[in-house]
Amino acid sequence: MTDVGTDHFLLLSAVLFIIGMMGVLIRRNMIIIFMCVELMLTAANITLVAFGWENNSMSGQSFVVFTIAVAAAEAAVGLAIILALSRRLHSVDIDDMRVLRD
Amino acid sequence: MPWDFVAFMLLAAICVICAGGVVASANPVHSGIFLGICFIHVAGIFVMLGAEFLAVVQVIVYTGAILVLLLFVLMLVDPDALPEFTSAHPVQRTVAVLLGMVLLLEVSVAILGRTVKGVASNATPENIALVGGNTQALGRSLYTEYLLPFEIASLVLTVGVIGAIVLAMPERLGERVRRRGTISLGHPRGTDLVLPEGVRGESPIPDSAAELETGLPSRREVIMVGNARDYTTVGRGRQ
Repeated sequence: MTDVGTDHFLLLSAVLFIIGMMGVLIRRNMIIIFMCVELMLTAANITLVAFGWENNSMSGQSFVVFTIAVAAAEAAVGLAIILALSRRLHSVDIDDMRVLRD
Repeated sequence: MPWDFVAFMLLAAICVICAGGVVASANPVHSGIFLGICFIHVAGIFVMLGAEFLAVVQVIVYTGAILVLLLFVLMLVDPDALPEFTSAHPVQRTVAVLLGMVLLLEVSVAILGRTVKGVASNATPENIALVGGNTQALGRSLYTEYLLPFEIASLVLTVGVIGAIVLAMPERLGERVRRRGTISLGHPRGTDLVLPEGVRGESPIPDSAAELETGLPSRREVIMVGNARDYTTVGRGRQ
């Protein structure tokens, strides 16, 4: 048990992912929800690298490069959406964003 | 004493604590700082997994770019809106925690009871050292096996940048320009003559005590020009 194996990394990744998921469900501030999404993406990255490490494969790390690229694009667009919404509604509370529903 | 186990435990513990801090702290700035610490320790995990290049990319892209962008947005949004705690409904919160626990249990069982192993590939530490290191091996993988996805990723980034600029552009640019014109009327060289009486722009700060009392400008010069519209852009639009 004192030998670091893939399972340790996978468990860490699962814990981080679930903390991020709970943050998305609990918090109401859009910016913090955004941070939690980033946390979940990072947890997925740990899983990919861990499996690549287990199988002596480079593909896991290649996938993480793509994930990081997509996360960067997502950050730019998501934060721009948050900015535009906060300008229009003067709020970053996700409960105020109900124009489409009402 | 297996030092790699100690290092892993330390990194993992700080990661999890900081992730909890992201979710739990009421101030978004504190959340951002916790997120940064968490990302740096995830970079340490990547080093343990032999992914040095990704560790550096993690620090540069996540803590360097995304987090700074996040903090900029924190500064740009309405500061009154930031301190949350119209938090989620209690039922919603309980359900979220319960769901999280159940999911964690399921995933842990799945991980610990895992019997399927992947097919071992040829990127063993010896082969990676033969190529020249982790960065070289990753580069070979990206530019041969994953060349097309790599190009598509660059396209995604371009679209993301353009989308961000379009989305974050101020909606009512025209109004701002008009207001700037009104403010520039307060300038001593402004052409107050072309404007009708009453809407004369005043400088927001009175020049003297007398001006403050009477409300009339005391020492503002008015330059006479033949055609005010040629002299300044203020007169434009008032045909």
